[in-house]
Parts: sequence; structure tokens; C-alpha cells
Amino acid sequence: MKTDNHFGAHTLPNGLRIVVEQMPDTRSVAAGFLARTGARDEVPELAGISHFLEHMCFKGTTNRTWEQINTEFDDIAVDYNAFTSEERTFYYGWVQTENLEKQIELLADMMRSRLPAEEFDMEKKVVLDEIARSNDQLMHVAYDFLHNTAFDGHPLGWPVLGHDATVEALTREQMSAYYQERYAPNNLILIAAGDVTLERVIELAEKFCGQWESGPAKPERQTPKMKVGSVLKQLDQFGQQIVALCYPAPSSVDPLHETANAAASILGGQNSRFFWNIVQEGISPDASCYRIPYCDYGMTLLWGQADPQNCERLLEAMQSQAEKIGTSKVDEQEVQRVKNKRRTSLAVESEAPYYRLVQIMGDVDLLGAPRSIDQRLADVDAITVDRIAEYFESYPFDAQDRLLISVGPRDWQGQN
Amino acid sequence: MKDPIHLNLNCGVEMAAAPMPGKHVVAMEFRILSGTAEEPEDKLGLARLVKETIDKGTGKRSGRELLDAFDDIGAPTGAWVGREAAGFTCICLPEFLEQAVGLHAEFLRTPTFPEDAVKTAIGLTEQEIGSLEDDPPSLADKYIERYGLGPVLGRCPLGERHTLAQIGREDLVQHWQQQYCTGRMQFSIAGAVDPDAVAKIIQTHFDGFGSAARVGRDGCGFTFEPTRKHYDKKIEQEQIALCFPGAAVGDDDYSAMRIMLGVLSGGMSGRLFTEVREKQGLAYDVHAMAENPRGQGMVFVAASCKPDVADQTFRTLLRELERLSEDLTDDEVSRARSRVIAREETMADMTRSRRGTLAADLFHHGRPRSIDERLAKIRKVTREDVIAYLSSHPRDRMSIVTLGPCGLADAQTADTIGALPNEDG
Repeated sequence: MKTDNHFGAHTLPNGLRIVVEQMPDTRSVAAGFLARTGARDEVPELAGISHFLEHMCFKGTTNRTWEQINTEFDDIAVDYNAFTSEERTFYYGWVQTENLEKQIELLADMMRSRLPAEEFDMEKKVVLDEIARSNDQLMHVAYDFLHNTAFDGHPLGWPVLGHDATVEALTREQMSAYYQERYAPNNLILIAAGDVTLERVIELAEKFCGQWESGPAKPERQTPKMKVGSVLKQLDQFGQQIVALCYPAPSSVDPLHETANAAASILGGQNSRFFWNIVQEGISPDASCYRIPYCDYGMTLLWGQADPQNCERLLEAMQSQAEKIGTSKVDEQEVQRVKNKRRTSLAVESEAPYYRLVQIMGDVDLLGAPRSIDQRLADVDAITVDRIAEYFESYPFDAQDRLLISVGPRDWQGQN
Repeated sequence: MKDPIHLNLNCGVEMAAAPMPGKHVVAMEFRILSGTAEEPEDKLGLARLVKETIDKGTGKRSGRELLDAFDDIGAPTGAWVGREAAGFTCICLPEFLEQAVGLHAEFLRTPTFPEDAVKTAIGLTEQEIGSLEDDPPSLADKYIERYGLGPVLGRCPLGERHTLAQIGREDLVQHWQQQYCTGRMQFSIAGAVDPDAVAKIIQTHFDGFGSAARVGRDGCGFTFEPTRKHYDKKIEQEQIALCFPGAAVGDDDYSAMRIMLGVLSGGMSGRLFTEVREKQGLAYDVHAMAENPRGQGMVFVAASCKPDVADQTFRTLLRELERLSEDLTDDEVSRARSRVIAREETMADMTRSRRGTLAADLFHHGRPRSIDERLAKIRKVTREDVIAYLSSHPRDRMSIVTLGPCGLADAQTADTIGALPNEDG
């Protein structure tokens, strides 16, 4: 058992890792199981299985029916749910301190789902409906198209929800095999934050998870390479047009992580260059820049939505701003403002166990250990004008390395 | 936790403060008691345009200099416009409180509404109206709110293209002059603060800002008129939305309505989730919620599903609304009650959340309340109270909106809602 500051960590003999942050002045606890598997860990014919499995984990165990799971969570939880992304699946709850044991018991039980056969087809209909819902929303369609284009042929290109055809074709047996392999305790991490001690969480984990048997380590991931060029998708059912430029960026574990975020914030965050030169010029109501980091790769995304006739202006403005920030140093005050905002947001995060839980989850998965608020502040304080300049030398907005996508009703060239 | 402080300042601002010792941030909201309901009928979207442009230039600074000044103290800001109010929110470290208040006073009191910023805001709003068309769940919300809350309270903050075309800079200036004043201002703050010190800061910065006479405290009221309408749209899902009258915040049975909503849609054990999603697999999203303009209450229920199960989904929604008064159990009421209490108590530890409850209490009750007081009535709600609420609020008059490729078709559905006027969209 290791403790550091308010953090503690421990690994059970079966490989289940436990990470806890004890937060002073809180009266609640957020806890969750991180399953280190997501859409990029799927094979093409099983696209969507991680997300569908997340749904099925709520559908019944050897101890509980789905009604009991839902009812017992509603008896105790301030909040609870689960989500699936490209690289992970996370099940969480947030309860008042006295309900911690019940919460961990419930979450642990769900990690040993029975995948009830009688619920499989019913839940498949729900997932297919979720896909239909996504298909009706331009933002979702464009985000999936972006990934599909950027990572064509690589699992990062599959949509997290899967395709109608792959979800339709999924069998319970396929899901069961995937589940056995990916939800072994050595591929799970139990995380808790709030009014709780490491000793207490270890005690509960031993009680509810100690008998689980280890499984194979998760499969190796293949590092992707982003495609470049221009790919446009004309869809008449939408009225607006998405224009997005993607450039290579640092991964989640790269030391330039915070610097890359600061650069994106200066370019396309609140009160940013995009805000004043694109939004306030009336070109687009929604133009932003952010980084999409994965464990071994990253993309900086310049993203805008506009009336179709504004596409050229939007693309030109985004490219122009990217070129400027990449070729001349940012202002010292711009950097300082990003740091100031970050300091406040970290203070806000420190109040809420759930916010901390999600942050710790990302740190533990990607960096191997959580970072305290103070550590993260130090990382932010280390950002300088020169560091950002060095960052753009390593990751330039180079026209040869960029991917342009556009989705919407207009058939245009996008060759600016 | 200490009781919140309520002060009526000489400058006219009404203030609520919840000191939270040990917290590292301060969360505040300046609320102006004027929203979309105050817009002239031919200039819908005006209130939001004022919100969008009020910080784009002051007597002392350009819009960019103003936002830079907020960033210099690391104080993220936000703003919203609702049916009866507009709000300006901010979070900062305690040492920057006075600067943050000063910057708010600057743009609220001395906006210049630059001509180019106004034109830009109108153009961007037109594009956002277009964006709404590409987001069917939000579009269905817009339509059902119109039929649920009436032509005034049910307005969409974005306005309409033809009303935006009627708005010029002088309209924004006039709206600001008429609506933005201390007599319409409520200020809520939570976190590491000394209420007396905050009161002095507010008094200093807002003294003399327009009329201090109290206005904007009454709701505008409306008469609910059930309507049925289908909007044809070539999309994969059918959006179904319906609404019917509920309790107002100040009503004795408001707490019973909250518990009823908890039973219906409070979590994954809620009846709608259970019957629509878990048992029949009809829809990924189904939910119910209440909207409460002052003195009014309206319950909204929504689901989105594949068109071939739209009628089945709709019938299930109606059946669940009907069944509430037939077989409600003590366990369901107890569970919904516990959930509301746990959520409120836990969220009260968070500065932003506490600021939100203070602002809501000032708005609806005219004073802030302690968490204990906020929960006192909830703790007492029984199954019988919920049954009584359901008896006094029958769900037999409702507005229904569908958005999608086909609407509702089959005979049983048509019979159910056949008495309603049907306008084709």
C-alpha cells in the first residue's frame, strides 16, 4: 500500500488496482470502475461492442435483476451512470459517505454481469435507437465522419456506438467472450475520491472483488497515423455545414500535454483568437480549437459550424489564424490568462468528488498515477511563451500534414 | 452550514449570500428580472441580443479589453437569458471578488452596444437558428415550449428570422435602458465570502444604476391551450413531446409534484425509463421534467424513437401518466424523496451549486433559504400527498408535438388525442 499526499494506491493479488484520493471538507464519495477497453480495442465486425456491453452491465447479474440494480442505485446515489469512449469504459456513482459500501458492492456486482440472454435483443433495440438519434444530429455525424476519415482502416475510425449492421449482427456469445477477456480484474481499476480512506476502499474491494480471477492482459494497441487531404461529405438533410481541420498533436502521455492544451486555448478557447477573428467577425457562431488526445497519438482539431455559403470564409479564417499562431510567438499576456483561468478551474474541481474522480481516472489510465491539484498547477505554471513556440516547432500547422473534412448540404471544393 | 444572508441594499439590489468557509472560490450571479417575456412581439430575440452584446464595449474598454480584464483575474464568466430573467455568472478566487464585481458593474452600467457588434450578433443568431434545425431534440423542445407555455412565456430566446430583421442597435439600447436597473437586480453569491463586505462592494459599484424601485417581481401568467401539432422532417427518429399543467413553485403541493416527477423520471428505476426503455426497448431517451415560470408550472415529457414504434411509445407514455394515480407505492415515493434529499445536500457542498439555489430562491420566494428549509417539505411528502397532487392536476389536457417523418398514426392514438385541435406543420 502506497500513500502520497492525499492519494493512496494498492493492488489486490488478482491484479485489481485501487486508487483513492481522500478529499478534506467533503461529505460524499464518488467511486467507479475503469475498464481499460473501448472502441479502438474492437475488431471491425464487432464495432460497437464495448458500448453495447456497457449497456448490458446494467441488465442483470447472478445476484440482481436489472430492476434491482436500478432500484438500489436510485435508493442511494446522488448520481450514477457509465460512458464508453474510444479507449475506455467507466462505471461510476456518487453517494453520501454512509452509502459507500453499498455503492461499491453494486458497481462490483455489475462488473460481473450475467449478460442475461433474455435482455440482449431488447437492449440491442435501445442501442440501435441511440445510433439513429446520433445520425439525426449534425455534430455527431461530423465527429464520426472525422474519425472515420482520419483513421481509415484503424480502429480509432470506428464510431463508439458502432454501425447499424455490426450491432444488428452481434451475438451474446461474441459479447461474452469479449467481456471475459477485457473485464478481468487486471484490466480494471477501482477509483474513489472524497470522504474516504484507502484502507476502507481496500477492505471493500477485498470483500467484493477479491475472489475474481485474473485474465489475460489487454491486447496491444496499434498506433494510428492520421490521413491527410480533403474529404467532403454532402448530406442534404442538414442545413448547416461543419468545417474541420485536423493536425497531428501530442498524445495524452506526452510531456507537452499541458503546453498543447494552452496553445489550443489561446487559438480557440473562450476569449481566444478564434472568438475575436471568426465568431465576432460573424463568420461562424461556433468556432473552436481543441486537442483530441489518445494514449499514443493526438490531433489538434480546428472546428467550425456555419451557414453553407460561409464555408470558404470559415476555412480561410481558421487557416489564417493557425498560420499566425504557428509562425510568430504568442503574447505573454495570452499565456498568463490561460494560466489564470486554469487556476480557478482547478479550485472548482477540488470541491467536487465526481469532478476529481473523472480527472483521476484519466491520469491513472494514461499516466499510471493520479496528479494532485498542486502538481497540475505546477504543470500549468511551467508553460511559457518559449515553450509554446517550441511546441509549434514540433507540431506545426503544416498544410502538408493536415486533414480537411466538411459535412453538410453543400457540395464545395474545400481546396483553399 | 450557516443560514444564508438576505439583504436589501440601499442602491436597490436584492442580495443573497451563503458564506462557505474553507472554500477556495467564490461563485456569483447578477440576475436582471427581465427576459424574453418582456420583448416586443415584433422583436423576438431582443433580450438575448442584449445579453450577447452588453459586454462588447463599455465607456472605458472595448469588448476585447473587458474579457481580457476578466481573464487577467482568472474569472470565467457566463450569461443566459430565460423567460423572465437574464443572468450573468462568474467564478473567481476570493481575492479577486471586488475586481470581478467592478467589471460586471462596468458592462452592465455603461455598455456602448457597438453597431458592428450588434450586426454581428444578429447574423450569428440567424446561423444559430439554422443550427437548431440540425438538432431535432432541441428543435422539438422549442416547439413544445411554445405550445406548453403560450405565445409569450413559450418564446425561443433566439427569436425568429423575421423578428431579428426588425431589430437595430437603438432597440437594444432602449431595452437596456428600460430593463437593466438595480430595482430589477438580484445578486447571489456563495463561497469564501464575508456578506457585509460583499454588500459594501455591491452598494459602491451599483449605487445610482437606474431606478431602485422594485419591479419585475411578478410572473406574467398565461392560459394553457392544449394543441396538437406535427412538424414533418426527414430524419431517422420521431421526436415526441407533450406537456400538461403542474404545480407552481410556491404552491403547497409543489414538493409533491417534485416527488411525482422523481417516480416518473428520477433515475433508471423511474417508470418512464422502466416501461419505455427497459421493458420494451422503444427508445434510448425518455424523460420528464417541470418548468416553472413564476406562479406557473408545466410538466414536459419527451421521447425519441424509431418511427415504426412511435405510436407504441406514445401510448406507453400516456399509460404511465395515467397509471401514476392507480398503483403508486410507498417505496417509490420514499426512493424519489431520498434521491432529491441526497442530491440537494451533496450539491450544497459545491460553491456553484449553492449559488444556483440562492438565486432560484430569491427569484421564486423573494428570499434565500437554508438547505434544511429547502428540504423540509420534501421530507414530509407521503404517497397520499402525491395522490392528492395527481387528483388536483389531471393529465387530460395536454399539448402534443411530434417532429419527424410520420407523426402519430394509428387509430388508438388518434382516438386518444382526437379531441385536440390539429394544426399541420
